[in-house]
Amino acid sequence: MEGLASLDFFEVLRSRRSIRKFKPDAIPGELVERLLEAGRSAPTAGNIQPWRFIVVDDPSTLGMIRKVSPGYFGGAPLAIIVCSDRDRSHELGGVIARDYLSIVDCAMAAGYILLAAQALGLGGCCIRSFSAPALKEILEIPGGVEPELMLAIGWPDEQPVKPPKLELDEITYHNVYGEKWRNSFE
Amino acid sequence: MSNSAEGEERLFELASFLAVSARGCVDEPHLYGPLRLIDALSRLVELSKHIPCVGSDPFLEEVRDRIENNKALIMHDKEKFISFLDSLVLEFSREIKRRAKSRP
Repeated sequence: MEGLASLDFFEVLRSRRSIRKFKPDAIPGELVERLLEAGRSAPTAGNIQPWRFIVVDDPSTLGMIRKVSPGYFGGAPLAIIVCSDRDRSHELGGVIARDYLSIVDCAMAAGYILLAAQALGLGGCCIRSFSAPALKEILEIPGGVEPELMLAIGWPDEQPVKPPKLELDEITYHNVYGEKWRNSFE
Repeated sequence: MSNSAEGEERLFELASFLAVSARGCVDEPHLYGPLRLIDALSRLVELSKHIPCVGSDPFLEEVRDRIENNKALIMHDKEKFISFLDSLVLEFSREIKRRAKSRP
């Protein structure tokens, strides 16, 4: 049973793609909740949990977001804006937490949400092509909190081909940088 | 939404898209500039449907469809994306010649 669960997980990893065309159908609140639960399960430095999620499903607000987000393709019915509470990070973890770890944590939360979306049959795309100042104005995000990433989520209306990936031995070294990785299981 | 109101909404959306893209291009990868331009072209063709004095243009509509089907190439195959831009320019060149010949 444990093996089966692992296989399912790796199938989710293997099959996930960035989706940029969506069906207009709404996403049930229960599924949105599961995405958010996945996001808050992500690793976080010092347990600071700097992430703040803004769930946008109001068509009018989505329309405003689209106007300031050139990377928002495909008319997704849901956007999750992953923000970092930089002030809180600074207070709890100092400058490195404010300037670096808060962004890393938000990226991990975004990754978890995208994987959860894939597991639920949804699709998503991680977007950074937006104007942060414009988004802060539209969504009334306070000072000290920064929108880091936007996740467009919806029911996929395309099946993108797998993009080329670098081979493991091109990106992995063994013990020291530059020493070729050899897969000892082969 | 009336046709006029929808046209005004799309015009505003395009204007905002261009302004935000201009700022984004300062920091983003340089190939995102061409991406924003052809995306704007696609949006412009869509917008033209709401301008009463502009008739339907099958060539431009075909161009819009091709852009929508190919713009995501930039994310995983930059060479193909550039080839797509080359083919788009060639198609415009041929269309320019065709229109010049068909003028009285």
